[in-house]
Amino acid sequence: MSRVIHCLALAALITGSFACSAAAADFPTTPPAPGPAPALNIPSPVRQVLPNGLEVISVRRADLPLVTARLLIRRGGEMDPPKLAGLASLTANLLTKGAAGRTAPQIAADAEALGGSLDAYAGWDQSSVGITVTTPKLDAALALLADVVRQPTFAPDELARARKQAADDLELLLSQPTALASLASSRAVFGEGAYGHPRGGTPASLKRVTRADVLKLHDELYRPDNAILVMTGDITPGQALSLAQRRFGDWAKPATALPSPAAANGHPTLPALLVIDQPGGGQAGVVAAHAAPRRDDARFYVGTVANAVLGGSYSARLNEEIRIKRGLSYGANSSFDPRRDGGLWLASAQTKNPSAVQVVQLMQGEFDRLGKTPVAAAELAARKATLVGAYGRSLETTAGLARRVGELAVYGVDLDEVGRYVDAVEAVTPAQIEGYARAYLGPAGRHVVVVGDASVFAAAMHRAYPQSRQISKKMLDLDSANLEASGHGSH
Amino acid sequence: MRHRLRAVVRLVPLMLLTAGIAPPLNAAELAVPPIQYREHTLANGLQVISVEDHASPTVTVQVWYHVGSKDDPAGRSGFAHLFEHLMFKSTAHMHAEQMDRLTEDVGGANNASTGDDITNYYEVIPANYLRTLLWAEAERLSNLNVDEKNFTSERAVVEEEYRQSVLANPYGKLFNSIDPHSYTVHPYRRPTIGSIEDLESASLADVIAFHKTFYRPDNATLIVAGDFDPKQLDAWVDEYFGRIPKPATPVPQVTTQEPQRTADRRYTETSPTAPLPAIAMTWLIPPARSPDTIPLQVAAALLSQGDSSRLYQALVYRTQIAQQAGADVDGRVGPGLFTAYAILASGHQPAEAEKVLRDEIARLADQPIPEAELAKVKTQLLTEELERRQTPMGLAFALGQATLTEGDPARVNTDLAALQKVSAADVQRVLHQYVTGAHSVTIDYLPQPKTAPANRQGATK
Repeated sequence: MSRVIHCLALAALITGSFACSAAAADFPTTPPAPGPAPALNIPSPVRQVLPNGLEVISVRRADLPLVTARLLIRRGGEMDPPKLAGLASLTANLLTKGAAGRTAPQIAADAEALGGSLDAYAGWDQSSVGITVTTPKLDAALALLADVVRQPTFAPDELARARKQAADDLELLLSQPTALASLASSRAVFGEGAYGHPRGGTPASLKRVTRADVLKLHDELYRPDNAILVMTGDITPGQALSLAQRRFGDWAKPATALPSPAAANGHPTLPALLVIDQPGGGQAGVVAAHAAPRRDDARFYVGTVANAVLGGSYSARLNEEIRIKRGLSYGANSSFDPRRDGGLWLASAQTKNPSAVQVVQLMQGEFDRLGKTPVAAAELAARKATLVGAYGRSLETTAGLARRVGELAVYGVDLDEVGRYVDAVEAVTPAQIEGYARAYLGPAGRHVVVVGDASVFAAAMHRAYPQSRQISKKMLDLDSANLEASGHGSH
Repeated sequence: MRHRLRAVVRLVPLMLLTAGIAPPLNAAELAVPPIQYREHTLANGLQVISVEDHASPTVTVQVWYHVGSKDDPAGRSGFAHLFEHLMFKSTAHMHAEQMDRLTEDVGGANNASTGDDITNYYEVIPANYLRTLLWAEAERLSNLNVDEKNFTSERAVVEEEYRQSVLANPYGKLFNSIDPHSYTVHPYRRPTIGSIEDLESASLADVIAFHKTFYRPDNATLIVAGDFDPKQLDAWVDEYFGRIPKPATPVPQVTTQEPQRTADRRYTETSPTAPLPAIAMTWLIPPARSPDTIPLQVAAALLSQGDSSRLYQALVYRTQIAQQAGADVDGRVGPGLFTAYAILASGHQPAEAEKVLRDEIARLADQPIPEAELAKVKTQLLTEELERRQTPMGLAFALGQATLTEGDPARVNTDLAALQKVSAADVQRVLHQYVTGAHSVTIDYLPQPKTAPANRQGATK
């Protein structure tokens, strides 16, 4: 007792800190050193192809009687025609809402009776539907998967329901500052290009989508020679092939060629810094974006490691500078999202409205620093370790395995890459990162978007960034490449 | 897009089912082995639970403390959670953020969370770092040493967490208001995240007192799961944790009894940014250790697990009154909550959703429940549990919840057995007892936009 009082008094008098040691005096004062490093268990994917062109990829991890099955289509939101933003997303969503003579409630009940649920969505460059079930339920789950992919009904009342739900989803998304800033930053980077529009649709585009549009997109894209069936978990390659053959073997490949997407990159027309005013917003969402090189660019791993240094984890630079050192946000991070034809770098943080300008400056400073000074050896080793550790853990679950393998397969990357990841990450040098940042992450190609209560920070933002422009969330037109409804532009 | 969840997350997730022996779903099809954990208690009162899993070369080290926001000091709502953040700052032998150096920098990860009853700290690391992290957890249990600068900066982070989860999240204010409106006297009525005012009142002296009062071996459970040698683990645990003394004073306990509700109550909350109205309703349920928890969980799953569930079908699919709907068992060490909620679809009002929510709950309580539907939710819950057990982290969390929330690690292996035995009559009995035959608290959540001053509508130039 007296000991604690003593340390309290010391704390108050000297440093304003306290040290209340409860442990015995011989407690070791330095962390014990680690033992020898264990090797990662990296399972090997097996790729087989059916005569109709369907790729069947399986990875065996039989610790528990579970299998994840996911059917991927090698196209997604980038195929939305102009004015029909959200079409690929609606199409994927509607797969499970009626198929092969079964209604939406029947399909949901069938899937859930197997213990899983069918989740269908369209991303960029891919659409997919998947389910995780216990091993004895796999064949029935695949039968269901085949029905919804091959024979969807696309009933008119389901389309009407899905459009309304998508419109409400969008409202919800747009009420979150960082989500809205991210959508706007895609417009800023890609302009009217295929990756520029909101993949979930816009209030206007969702009203325009017809059943004919959905049928056409499904006909064009959902075909065996544009599809990959991934199965991970308690399954052998032989079982995977025979199950795939049974449920997808008679899926006919059309004679027509696969349509090409529109150009991914358009002409950016937004200012380098855009403010979207959300009156009453509880925080400001700050996003900085850059165009990224394509997935098949040789510097893929340089980008991956650069992101790990910039904002890929808690201890990365953005969080270190914005949260840990300054307490300005609950979290700041970045993502590197290379795609088939281009890609996106995104950094984001939410902060109290009064510190929006400071966070914009800090975020830009960290992008700039990557291209100005080499990453120190110790920092680089730490961030590579973070990356490699997270990679290993992502392979621990059947769903995680399916995601990793699916990502490679969609882009046609050799599946042996699963086993080469660690070496590829370790090989990246500080000079490569610096060169990469100079080429892709410099101030000239940067697009910053801030969404928040501008009444709090507009004056300061204008002083710091005289070229910035402000628009009102109310006037936002997501269909327009400059985000403004015609006639309501700000000047 | 990873944010660290140093967080106000309820320790009991949407569908708590802490693992167990699953009698085969269908005898020939599937048998799930029990979790083979070991448990013992050191002389200083530290409970130690471990389970081996050699599927991958990682191990998780977790310390779960029997302290949560129900133990916030008077006038210091949010303190237990703020304190949790400070456990990542300096100790006598570790500098601030050294936990990150010992985890992230070597290929691991770490986090922590605070709930009403529990604060847990957890790392997952390459298996060769087990000893290092045992030392580090013992160190911050016994030698925390935070300075004023770190305290002030981390408090600002927590205030940003408050703004992010409560103010900037369009439905944050609704979910944050559930506890204050649901309990009348129990300290559960304080939101775990607290308030900016109370956080601003907290001082370094509060930190010292809180650590001394609650962070002690006899108020903690150490859980280790993954790739380790049990003999070596025991020796290291003795070496680093065994020497921490057990204080002579007892750990303070919350003894406040929440009275039964005597009337239905109704409240309204508003949001400047929520695009659509919402509604939430709660009922008091017994502590999680009660055998009635499992049938209540089955009831919640029948109502809201998946697109074939009753609330989704009635509210989102058929009538399209709601955009989202759910029901949840929020089991706690003390009295918990059965909750039902809906976020409305555009053009609809809370009263419409309330009618359907109440009708569906009444229908489940009073009309026959088809055998196939009951079998469906059992299969869903079992599959979910198997998915969770794929990782050391999932195994350790199952054990932690069984031990601290339900009061017994054995629950990890008996809950699923109990689940398999739940009958339609059980579901209806608990619904009658705690929900349809009891009083509700209802919260209407209404958008109330703040309009921008006219001169701010245009450009800044």
